[in-house]
Amino acid sequence: MALRRYTTIVDGTIPISALLYNDEELLASQDNVGIYDGYQKAIDHQSGAIHVTTHRLFFINTRSPATQSFTMDLSHVIRTDHYAGLFKSSPKVTLFLDANSVSNSGDENHVDARFESWECEVCSYRNPPGLSPAAAQVCGLCGVPRNAVPAPTSQTPSEAPTPLISFPTSSTSLPGTPSRSGSPPHGNGDPDSIACSACTFLNHPSLRICEMCFTTLPTVSQRFEYNKTKSAPPSRPVSPVSTAADPANLLIKLSFRKGGDKALYNILKRALKARVWEGRQIGKVLRNGQSNMGAVSPAGSSTPAFLRTGIGGIIENVNASVKNTETELSDAFQDLEALMVKARDLVQLAAELNEKLNASSTVASTSRSASPLPPFVVPSVASQSVPNSIFAVTSLVPSAEPEEAKFIRSSLSQLGLQMTNAPVTPDMIRDERRWIEELARELAGVLQGTSDDVLGQKPSGIMRQRGIVGLDEVWGGWNRARGVALIPPSTFLQTIQFLPDCTSPPIYNRTFKSGFRVLHTPPFTHASFTARLLGYLMLSEVLTTSQIAQEENITLSLAAEMIEAVEVDGVVCRDDERSAIRGGGGGGSDSELRWSLNTFAEYVWDGQTFD
Amino acid sequence: MQLTTHTTPSGFLLPSIHAAHAFFTEQPNPITQNTFVNNWIQLILSYARHRRLFVIRVEDAEVAGGDWDEVLRNERINRRVIPSYLTSLISAMVSRDLAYYEPPKQTRSVVLLWRLPEEWADVLHSWGTATGQINTILTMYEITDPPVPSPLSGIPLSLLRRAITVLTRSGRAQLIEVADGEGVRLLAGGK
Repeated sequence: MALRRYTTIVDGTIPISALLYNDEELLASQDNVGIYDGYQKAIDHQSGAIHVTTHRLFFINTRSPATQSFTMDLSHVIRTDHYAGLFKSSPKVTLFLDANSVSNSGDENHVDARFESWECEVCSYRNPPGLSPAAAQVCGLCGVPRNAVPAPTSQTPSEAPTPLISFPTSSTSLPGTPSRSGSPPHGNGDPDSIACSACTFLNHPSLRICEMCFTTLPTVSQRFEYNKTKSAPPSRPVSPVSTAADPANLLIKLSFRKGGDKALYNILKRALKARVWEGRQIGKVLRNGQSNMGAVSPAGSSTPAFLRTGIGGIIENVNASVKNTETELSDAFQDLEALMVKARDLVQLAAELNEKLNASSTVASTSRSASPLPPFVVPSVASQSVPNSIFAVTSLVPSAEPEEAKFIRSSLSQLGLQMTNAPVTPDMIRDERRWIEELARELAGVLQGTSDDVLGQKPSGIMRQRGIVGLDEVWGGWNRARGVALIPPSTFLQTIQFLPDCTSPPIYNRTFKSGFRVLHTPPFTHASFTARLLGYLMLSEVLTTSQIAQEENITLSLAAEMIEAVEVDGVVCRDDERSAIRGGGGGGSDSELRWSLNTFAEYVWDGQTFD
Repeated sequence: MQLTTHTTPSGFLLPSIHAAHAFFTEQPNPITQNTFVNNWIQLILSYARHRRLFVIRVEDAEVAGGDWDEVLRNERINRRVIPSYLTSLISAMVSRDLAYYEPPKQTRSVVLLWRLPEEWADVLHSWGTATGQINTILTMYEITDPPVPSPLSGIPLSLLRRAITVLTRSGRAQLIEVADGEGVRLLAGGK
């Protein structure tokens, strides 16, 4: 903002000495300088040479000198500051700019005017071009200000808006022309008329509000500022940029990437003190007059009354609300960042507190068990172990009060500030127990569906049709049902211990000899299955494993596991088909087992005997 | 299905358990298996005594057509003892001193002790007494293959030697070294 407002573009390909006014002097130069526009780096001006003259500051961009170089009048500078630099931060010179002064479009006008000579009204001396703006206001011979004579007459109709515009024309046209708009336009249309930014109607230059739509018209200065960008048509100024008196808009920083800051800063200060640009008083008066007229200050008390009407008012309102939102948003983000910083502290505090609790509890327990120390000794030991902790005071109480320590720790874990590397202590398990129980309840829902029905016919759930399910299937199904925050196997194994309490009929966990684990309902306990199996075998004498699996509606491997568990009791015995004479497995390992009741426990020899 | 006993063509009465399928399969349950092994050993020794078989080999389970087919195979229920099961049965017998590996240092063939060496010693001594050969020097061949069949006919040499050793220890026989072999002289003394 500051750059745009206070500087004017120059063609950096021209040698610096050719850019100077006749009465201007080059004081110092420095390479490798970057520009900060306000507090932000100006992206397009990051490397260039800075030149200090008696009147101005030049920045010649090394990358694109033709378009990205600029000059700024030293008259804008009200204060300077020097920053020596630290580590990777380069030394910087900050130029605080005058909020009341704007880029002198008048001066800008004189860039053109510089190359025109003018004749003094008083002594008819033909003043040569090329002087600095201030100096150009005064006749070089007699010292009379340039517009001393025309001013009283010409200023009446259009007092302030374009006081300086008159100067270039004054040398060619009549100085006493009543209205500037009356002068013949050069180029396409009247250069003085102001195009409305909303409806593009060309308004009379003395108007500040569009005749058609009441939109605030761009000020002359802004118009000229815009005009110097070559691509835009002269009659279509941009909508007025709100240049609020934001401090960031009022400073420019010069960053000295390769040093040389001190020497240049001293010269700059001297140049500012000398105030060479203030040639005569008149220049300053004019500038002041112009700055008063420029509608750059939105705080102006007279304008808002107009702004609330018409399209202009609407646009203004919208702009204001947008600006409001922006500031609120940035404020909110600042809050968030602050919170993030705080969160780190909070986590650290939690860690400290945990450590504290551990230390105090161990100290307390050892002291209680080992030696009958007086109770007040314990806190002192505890606080000595971590003397710098701010929780040293609070730890005094928990060391004696395990209940409170438990409460603090459980609150911490509920806040998500539980330390992962903290050892699992019984009191933490107690708190975790409730969590596990909750999990068990959830798992019960997954297994049995909505637990409305007591028996069978569950609408959904892994175990709705089956009484026995492998643990791996349950785990996978549960996590699939959860979708997020998956349960690790360790927690799962903890959870299933609580499962019988949450399910009806109760679901138990069972581990077979091979390590295969299942969840099962009461009908699939060992005893019930044994009884059922014996019933089957009583009926059909011999059954294969697959027949039993079919009968029980369970998988083959599961049936084999369960039958083998029964076999351990010795109530059934197997018949391997490998021992068949004809057919059978013929030695294959996958031959089928056939099961029969073990009726031989009480067998008495009934074969051949010898006396 | 009620299991029944069965009489083989050789006149041996097979026990009813021999008709159970499970009897031919090695049981993982140690208690069940122990019952089965006991019955198998009794069956094998009974049959050996019935048929005067002194030796059982793992080959008898591998190849059909041997002396042991009536026991190791049950055509009626389509079951047989697989060689690995027979091996474990043999080792069970050896561990219970009801058989010994012959030749030693292998596990595929055993001499069955349906009579213990002490019993064989008594049989030998009473046979010598009955046939009036006390104090006579007998060659081994004359004992194992006498012209008149005796209870000792066909007894393996290693088993005979064990029996003689038992007699020698109790002073009822004397082992004599001769030029081309060895002889034994039964003595009347002893208990």
